[in-house]
Amino acid sequence: MSRRMTFRTGLATSLVAAAFTVSVAAEAFAQDLRPGRIRVGMLADINDFDPMAFSTVNFPTIKNLYDSLIEYTPEGRAIPNLAESWTIAPDNRSVTLTLRADVKFHSGAPFDAEAVSATLRKANDPRAGKNVYPTMSIVQEWAVVDPRTIRITFRNPAPTRQITDLLQFISVIDPAAIENVSTRPVGTGPYVLAERAVGQRVRLEANRSHWRASQPLSPEVVLTVFENDAAATAALESGAVDLVYGTTGRSAVRLRAAGYQVVEGPGPLVQVFRINSTRGPFRNQTFRQAFNHLIDRAGILRVGYAGLGEVTALPWAPASPAHDPSYAQRYAYDLDKGRALIQRSGLPQAEISNWKLLVNGGEEASVRISQIVQASLARVGINIELDLKQGAEFIDALLTGKFDAVFGAVGNVQKFPTRLTTNSIYRTVNNPILGEPNPHPEYVEAIRRVDTTLGPEDAVKAAYDNLNRVLVETAFGIPTNSYPIGLIVASPRVGGFTLDIDNMLVARTLGFKP
Amino acid sequence: MRRSRELARRVVARGAAQVSLAWLATLVVLAVLAPVLPIDPLAQDLLAELEGPSAAHWFGTDELGRDIMARVIYGARTSLMTAAGAVAIAGAVGVPIGLMAGFFGGWRDAVLMRLIDVLLALPGILLAMAIIAVVGRSQAAALLAVGITGIPSFARITRAQVLSLRKRDFVVAVEALGGSAAYTMFRTVLPNSWSPILVQVVVLSSVAILLEAALAFLGIGIPPPTPSWGEMLRTGKTYLYEAPTYAVLPGLVLTLTILSLDMLGRVMASVLEDRHEIEEPAALQGGRP
Repeated sequence: MSRRMTFRTGLATSLVAAAFTVSVAAEAFAQDLRPGRIRVGMLADINDFDPMAFSTVNFPTIKNLYDSLIEYTPEGRAIPNLAESWTIAPDNRSVTLTLRADVKFHSGAPFDAEAVSATLRKANDPRAGKNVYPTMSIVQEWAVVDPRTIRITFRNPAPTRQITDLLQFISVIDPAAIENVSTRPVGTGPYVLAERAVGQRVRLEANRSHWRASQPLSPEVVLTVFENDAAATAALESGAVDLVYGTTGRSAVRLRAAGYQVVEGPGPLVQVFRINSTRGPFRNQTFRQAFNHLIDRAGILRVGYAGLGEVTALPWAPASPAHDPSYAQRYAYDLDKGRALIQRSGLPQAEISNWKLLVNGGEEASVRISQIVQASLARVGINIELDLKQGAEFIDALLTGKFDAVFGAVGNVQKFPTRLTTNSIYRTVNNPILGEPNPHPEYVEAIRRVDTTLGPEDAVKAAYDNLNRVLVETAFGIPTNSYPIGLIVASPRVGGFTLDIDNMLVARTLGFKP
Repeated sequence: MRRSRELARRVVARGAAQVSLAWLATLVVLAVLAPVLPIDPLAQDLLAELEGPSAAHWFGTDELGRDIMARVIYGARTSLMTAAGAVAIAGAVGVPIGLMAGFFGGWRDAVLMRLIDVLLALPGILLAMAIIAVVGRSQAAALLAVGITGIPSFARITRAQVLSLRKRDFVVAVEALGGSAAYTMFRTVLPNSWSPILVQVVVLSSVAILLEAALAFLGIGIPPPTPSWGEMLRTGKTYLYEAPTYAVLPGLVLTLTILSLDMLGRVMASVLEDRHEIEEPAALQGGRP
């Protein structure tokens, strides 16, 4: 009983802490901040400066060097940015953007519709478009109407949120710099690259001709690479850096208790127990459905992610329009329900244990949560081994489907729901794990319905509800919890945090409290 | 047999050996009796994670709420089994190689020793990592990897001992009386070579335990949830702030075990040296060593 109370107390503490986390940001805006040199610790060096290389290691620089066409508020509402307005055609087949007139690139070149067109050309190139390329699949063509107007036409009528996702994804690059953007970034962002020492630091200086009034607040941002989380947080505690970007949940919780600020963005990842439904006992749908109840989501969140995030039975963040927290209650951890479904599956005892759980041995959280699942399954008679692989061997197994089951996080869960299909197990076509044709036609149809339901609102909601129902019924992916990426732990002296929908580092409003 | 008993008596007479043997005996007894003790190294209690030492959990609990003492005791089984298996593999392969190389000499010695040199040139941990990369992570793989890295030391020590005995009168006498090469090697030379090999058994046990722990610390040892001291050290370092005893106590047990084995090995070597000093004149006079 006391343990339950401790758990509840812990949960309550987490909620209070979450409220504190949110209030940190709100409070910071209300204060007068003074400019200064912002020293940031990061846990890995950036790969390159290409804003279309949407890798988490590049997250500390993208929003500081570039601006996107539009932005989202932390709640997911689209707001103007480089595009001061946009109009979606009544048939949802095109969008017309009106661009800001007062923007210049770091090079001094003017920002205009031709520059947007050049960036779209890069995005539409399978090689150069990198992570943006799949999102461009909805685009048929685009046309420059005049220097401040560009129109993008879609292959089929596209839902509004899908259109705004695309616009938010496009960070505009100076056309003259596109060729060498990986090493020489030229955007319109609040900072310009001053220095890069590979493996050591990136130094950014304020863009004096930036279009946002009074921004950036601080004249310089120095991003220092640290070997690991312990070294970075020790630097924070010693005052060598003002904040650490991308720290672990456990360090964040420890430092929060010591008076540091923890800033959690609205774009988490969702951990998913991925099931290869083409192998062994997992071909049986009822057996797969049992896993909706056999995984201790709260335990995983607590042990694997220090309680930061929330349990979820669906692959959505709270900012997603398809988010439905009721599923977490309906598909809660319940061994009796799981046992009943295993019995209903009709599989013999020997077969239900005839598989292995692939584990990313290089990631401590994965090792921990896999052991939690292993222990839970043992309680219902499923005795499995963990198959630990590391590095390239693990990635190869994960992306080519050489596994029975594995934990793997999915991103883009705060955007339009069908962005989920950019994650390998959720692909509707050319699925590298489940093969071709997709063995779950009802899932493919549910995705198609979401993609093609433009309105009215209740019809859109019904499409989302249908997708959610199909996801738990097909059960080839069992979401367990969301958890933050790009977690920021900052000195109490720092204020002015701007939350980015993708949890990228936004430094332009950062300053020091008086 | 009489000489082995005498060697054992002299070793046990040393204080350092007594302390080492007491620790090792305790460890062996706990490891052997672990399945009948009221402990479960796999039982999780997620609401009792990272608790400090208490009456219920003498060493505290780990990140999954498992009893650290139970895992240390079961970890001893892992370490001792790895050490025993590795020593068996290394001895079974290394001793015959050293015996043949030393006994026959010539090109056979050159070929066998160059092979051993190749093995010796590779750092043990690197060789073990390569073996595990090929055969995958498992207790058998760890045991095999550690065993293979121990082959050169057995081969070289055996060869050195055989070379020192090869031309001794009692060996020459057996050959003169028509003893075959196999008979002379296995029935005459080998029985007189056991002492330094026994010392090497103790030394390699310590190396094997340390190497297994190092592999686990690097994340390529025996896969979880099987308890392993190295794995506990690896995971425990993540929680040094929250639960310092998590890493410290398994580390202490590992250190004491390695120290005990090293101490025992040193005492055995020292006793053997004393014996040689006493027996050398007799050998020079042509008596049995």
